[in-house]
Amino acid sequence: MNKNYILPALVILTSFSLIIFSTVLLPNFIFKPSPSEFAVKYSPLEASGRKIYIREGCVNCHSQFVRPQDRDFGVHVQAGDYVYETPNLLGTIRTGPDLSNEGGKHPDAWHIAHFKNPRTTTPGSIMPPFSYLKDDEMKALVAYVQSLGKKRLVKYKRIYHPDELEKLLEKRNVNTNGSAEANAGRGIFQQNCATCHGTHGLGNGPNAIQIAKKPANFSRPFFKDYDDVTWYWRVSEGVPGTRMPQWGRLLTSKQIWYLVAYLKTLPRENEVYPKEYETLDPEKWVQQYKISADELNSQKPAMIIETKGPPPSTEGGH
Amino acid sequence: MIFSNEENSASRFFILSAVFWLVIGMTMGLTGAIEFTAPDMSSGIPQITFSRLRPTHINTVAFGWLSMANIGIALYIIPTLTRSKLFSDKFANFICVVWNLAILGGILCLTNGYTEGREYAELPVPIDVGVLICLLSLSFVVYMTAVNRTVKKLYVSLWYILGAFFWMPIVYFIGNRTFIRLDGLNDGIVNWFYGHNILGMWFTTLGVGIAYYMIPKLTGRPLWSHSLSMLGFWTIAFFYAPTGTHHILQSPVPEWLKALAVVFSVALVIPVITVLTNFFMTMKGNWWQLANNLPLRFVLTGAFFYLVTCLQGPFQATRSINWYLHFTQWVPGHAHAALLGAFTFFNFGAIYYIFPRVTGKQMYSVSLARMHYWFTLIGFFIFYTAFTIAGLVQSAGWHAGVPVSTWVVELQPYWIIRALGGGMMWFGNVLFFVNIFQTNRGVKPLDSPDVEPAMVPVPKN
Repeated sequence: MNKNYILPALVILTSFSLIIFSTVLLPNFIFKPSPSEFAVKYSPLEASGRKIYIREGCVNCHSQFVRPQDRDFGVHVQAGDYVYETPNLLGTIRTGPDLSNEGGKHPDAWHIAHFKNPRTTTPGSIMPPFSYLKDDEMKALVAYVQSLGKKRLVKYKRIYHPDELEKLLEKRNVNTNGSAEANAGRGIFQQNCATCHGTHGLGNGPNAIQIAKKPANFSRPFFKDYDDVTWYWRVSEGVPGTRMPQWGRLLTSKQIWYLVAYLKTLPRENEVYPKEYETLDPEKWVQQYKISADELNSQKPAMIIETKGPPPSTEGGH
Repeated sequence: MIFSNEENSASRFFILSAVFWLVIGMTMGLTGAIEFTAPDMSSGIPQITFSRLRPTHINTVAFGWLSMANIGIALYIIPTLTRSKLFSDKFANFICVVWNLAILGGILCLTNGYTEGREYAELPVPIDVGVLICLLSLSFVVYMTAVNRTVKKLYVSLWYILGAFFWMPIVYFIGNRTFIRLDGLNDGIVNWFYGHNILGMWFTTLGVGIAYYMIPKLTGRPLWSHSLSMLGFWTIAFFYAPTGTHHILQSPVPEWLKALAVVFSVALVIPVITVLTNFFMTMKGNWWQLANNLPLRFVLTGAFFYLVTCLQGPFQATRSINWYLHFTQWVPGHAHAALLGAFTFFNFGAIYYIFPRVTGKQMYSVSLARMHYWFTLIGFFIFYTAFTIAGLVQSAGWHAGVPVSTWVVELQPYWIIRALGGGMMWFGNVLFFVNIFQTNRGVKPLDSPDVEPAMVPVPKN
């Protein structure tokens, strides 16, 4: 071999083996997540269902990871969720919905009808029919699909009436009148609600344009009549028939209480804060508005001021 | 023909098989595209269900058409550039037989549900072994030819081709090692190392190598800059390998790996700019040749699509763009722009130039070749535009939180248009198939007047 080519050959070999080492071998040495609580250890039936999922090529249209920006898809996945997933079924395209939290969303009979002809359960779907699956294969596949996400969304029990929440109220460990709690709730609001309800809760978020039934404007007077339990119930159960999701499935109970604490502080429409608000002496307020000190402490000042100040202005929010 | 040791017989056999698999693979793709608009079409037949057809289409066009065409063209280019005979045409012919059997077996396995389930690595283990043995044997043939060369200096095409034949067996082995069981996400990381490097270390390097040979050859002008071409080669060698993780950029894989993938993906602009600068500067003052040089027209169209796809690539690998575009039809559009728009067009041009030379026969019909060009080009424009716009509609749907069953209806027009574009390309390539097989039969007499200058078979000396 000509000596001129020894150096380039060496450079190719070293660079390529270095790259392979850093991107193929190194992650396998240092990235070893331990199984999370949602890592599914498949039963024999589910495992055979997973083989059918692979055989039918479902991964070519359905991904199995929820990204941080996917709203309404459920809990975000963690590295530990995938420990038992070999071969990986992460997927790179979503022609159909993501299936990470599919388990328990629908009953078994729905899945069987859907596999036989997807258009019977989902009008407009373009999923091909899998009517040729044998009965035992179908059973295994349904078992696998129901195992996805370990039913993490369905552990949530639906609350049909605010009265049922009285029990929840007893377990509440968040002070919904505290300003620190309201501040924590503000963060949650900005992350989850502001896209539709707007940063000031006026129902004018960027997504509001596309929604036929407009998101609520929290400055409307009747929202000021909501008590804590009603607020909690609305947030947690969503509003049927609108795009308001059931946040109880997605947020923890503590997070919803923080949110309630924040929602209660949102001002009423046309309400104006007196400039001297910050420096006011509560004692004077008690005398001026004839309310007791207990009542004052139990409510945010914003709710008792009403529109006694200067004439109403058109500006909303603080 | 199968076990002949005639000069260039291996190249000819590879190209013929490739064109055959191209038509088969495109038929599958077209069927899949129609199933998007008529999902009940496959009812009751598992073999043509979309979810099985898609991996079969990918593997047929990637390993059947594009790989075999690249190899066939390389087996002509290498002896020409090294001024020596191919190490063994007989052996290469034998490899081609095995490769064809592997593709046939692969199609049968995948349509009948025997799959490994990893994207781009679906072929089952026995087929993998066959393909790997073929790759290793081909590398042996190619390297032995290069060692026995009579020209001292290696032209840049040879660097690319030799590089591809060095990397591809390694990449293929890593991607298809099923005897080492890896946990979920690690499996995904290795899967996408393979899934992306089969493009970068095999299709890109061979495709660009072929274009580096074809453009100076077809224009009759020397390459603009040799040092720039070497810069492109070494940067692609350095920057391509770690980029695979950008396919799973928002999954919970380690952050440093994602950062590495993004940085190197963006750095890939350097090899692209150097390669294309070199191509277009070589063309400077020679653009008039496109008017009467069909192979050159194919290669340069490919170069323009290479520009489009390689500007898209780094841009959509960045986190903020990936955030919006990932998971949508935009990405298959990008993949088709690379493999169909760029490298397939390079190969079309190269085959029109090489095939008359390796067979020593007159091209059957120049008008069929021209129709092939226009049908494929216009069909591809329609197809690619439909894919891209559908992707944007889809990502808007995801990000507004609109349920899938709602935006799926909105996408119907794009899917119909996509199938129409695909149908045009399919028709163009059936013409190509007819043209190449009639040429192989030697239907047209050698002294017939109606032929493009670039396609005249040079008498053997």
